[in-house]
Amino acid sequence: MAARSISSLGDRLLDGVMSIVEAPINGFERLMGRKRMPYLFLAPNLVLFGIFTFLPIAIAVGYAFTGGTGLFVTERPFVGFDNFRQLLSCENYLEPGSCKESLFWTAIWNTLWFVSFNVTATLLVALTTALILNRAIAGRGFFRAMFFYPVLLSPVVIGLIWKWFLDRNGLLNAFLQMLGVPPEIFLLEVGWSRFFVVVVSVWCHMGFYTLILLAGLQAIPKDLYEAASIDAASPRRTLFRITLPLLAPNLLVVLILLMIRSVQIFDEAWVLTNGGGPGTANSFIVQYIYQMAFGSDLRLFGLASAASVLMGLVLLCLTLVQLKLGKKMES
Amino acid sequence: MGDLKLTNLNKAYGALAVLHDINLTIEDGEFVVFVGPSGCGKSTLLRVIAGLEDITSGGIDMSGRDVRQLSPAERKIAMVFQSYALYPHMSVRKNLAFGLENLRFKREEIESRIAEAARMLAIEPYLERKPRQLSGGQRQRVAIGRAIVREPDIFLFDEPLSNLDAALRVQTRAEITKLHRDIKTTMIYVTHDQVEAMTMADKIVVLNAGRIEQVGSPLDLFDHPRNLFVAGFLGSPRMNIFKGKVVSRSAEGVVIDLGYAQYLTAKVDPSSVSDGQPVLAGVRPAHFKVSSQGLPFIVQYYESLGTETYVYGTLEGQSEQVIIHQPGHFAPQVGERLTIAPAEGRLHVFDPQTSLAVPNFGEVRRVA
Repeated sequence: MAARSISSLGDRLLDGVMSIVEAPINGFERLMGRKRMPYLFLAPNLVLFGIFTFLPIAIAVGYAFTGGTGLFVTERPFVGFDNFRQLLSCENYLEPGSCKESLFWTAIWNTLWFVSFNVTATLLVALTTALILNRAIAGRGFFRAMFFYPVLLSPVVIGLIWKWFLDRNGLLNAFLQMLGVPPEIFLLEVGWSRFFVVVVSVWCHMGFYTLILLAGLQAIPKDLYEAASIDAASPRRTLFRITLPLLAPNLLVVLILLMIRSVQIFDEAWVLTNGGGPGTANSFIVQYIYQMAFGSDLRLFGLASAASVLMGLVLLCLTLVQLKLGKKMES
Repeated sequence: MGDLKLTNLNKAYGALAVLHDINLTIEDGEFVVFVGPSGCGKSTLLRVIAGLEDITSGGIDMSGRDVRQLSPAERKIAMVFQSYALYPHMSVRKNLAFGLENLRFKREEIESRIAEAARMLAIEPYLERKPRQLSGGQRQRVAIGRAIVREPDIFLFDEPLSNLDAALRVQTRAEITKLHRDIKTTMIYVTHDQVEAMTMADKIVVLNAGRIEQVGSPLDLFDHPRNLFVAGFLGSPRMNIFKGKVVSRSAEGVVIDLGYAQYLTAKVDPSSVSDGQPVLAGVRPAHFKVSSQGLPFIVQYYESLGTETYVYGTLEGQSEQVIIHQPGHFAPQVGERLTIAPAEGRLHVFDPQTSLAVPNFGEVRRVA
């Protein structure tokens, strides 16, 4: 009885809203014509998108060509390509110390190794997990949810959890001590800290990529596998000759997304390594941008913007490659 | 050698039994068609033979080998799927070669088998194309080609023509029959289309609800259906069934009263029924002829195909539709009263209790 009265109340409410909205919508339709109506509905979203995405991009590009420490554009002198020159001038690019902006190049090299290790590791782990979850194993639904769960966590929470786990007095050291292994200060040792930045990144993002790959695996018709089993294909040959080639479009999407998101590594690594430590061992490109602009009293908005523009160009190239390869695969 | 023996075979998914106690022998070189309505278990039976499904109990022997524990690849079978199941990322040539490569055949042997199959199926011009660049009929041939190159003991076809248009279906049907004549390998073919079953098979296996209803040659099944299901399933339009009762029995056969002045005589074993017993009488549309004596038939409408005519109507005073088939162009008036009688020896009699056919003279009723 109560449920019915609530639902009839809901109906009446909806009718009321519709009758209020209907009149102006009809008015607009008479004014603009039916063909232009879709743009009216898109307008609110486009306005927000413009304010929070396109405008900041435009401002960043503009600021990249200005200098000084002023916040407003009127307080900032035009300096042309000076910021880019400062970022890119280097005696030997392999030695960040020889560069004018040594921190920028340290961040670039750190980001490059992170991207290569993180992309490889995440891809392998996500693919293996997806292949296992695609089989009819017990508790499949539970495992799918479990692997996806870290994706829902805030990067800061992830950073803090792992920091607590890896601390000098953390869970991992307690466990190692139980086994008689001397404790290790993982986050203060260059090799270990880099290793764990990758581990944490794989742990928290693999669920998302697993899901994409799982969707791809489930789209492969079952009878192809039956045909392959009649064709005497070994599990190995089935994987390499049937599954992986047919999964290629999804693998490509995952690869490009992973590369883009790896280049953007910041928050969980920042929290985990106390701002890129030890030293600058885990200082990445986004962190450099943040530190130049907001991380200290430097307020080098021009330099940070120039670095953002360079990073944006790299990401744009990756996206174009994805689009191009994706189209090629479709045809 | 490609003979097959199924003994007391059962298959269940959990509590749901889908195949019940299947016993079937298929001789080497036979073309056997499994036919039945949707969900009757015919595809499951094929997949069990292929090794794609496990069995719950029973035996499967191929050429004298117990194959229950063998993988599909080890059973020396090849299968043509309803969806064709061609590898979409491989060229036609690679599709054909894949199975042989897996079995580590020599390159020359693979090439010569592909060439032979391609010639046989006229797919030589398409060898370098991908499956999506082929028409449905061409894909179908490639799927058959993939089976042929394996040179299996038994070919399995799972409704291979169901995705083709009507004209192509007739053509491919003939090609598969010819292929069987040429290579003389055992073929098991699943279809729900009784025309395919009747035209292609050496032996038809009629399945219903996971049980074999009858096994026999197409004409044997058509002329001597063992029960009401087979009688109704084979033959298009389906057999007309009438309620009646036995009036008398003699050496001539059994006299049946359908409630009209004219009694009908069925040439069936009189010792299998008793006087006064209710029975169901069945006559195929093509076996009714318009005659001076017989049952009163009121015409409702007719469909003339030029060379033949189907007349739809009812027996006088009844509501159930009766169909009669007449050769040539036959144009009765709507509402006209005709007299129809079954052709000599074409009246089937069934026991309504058991659904089984009353056997003909000399036939022994097979126990279900």
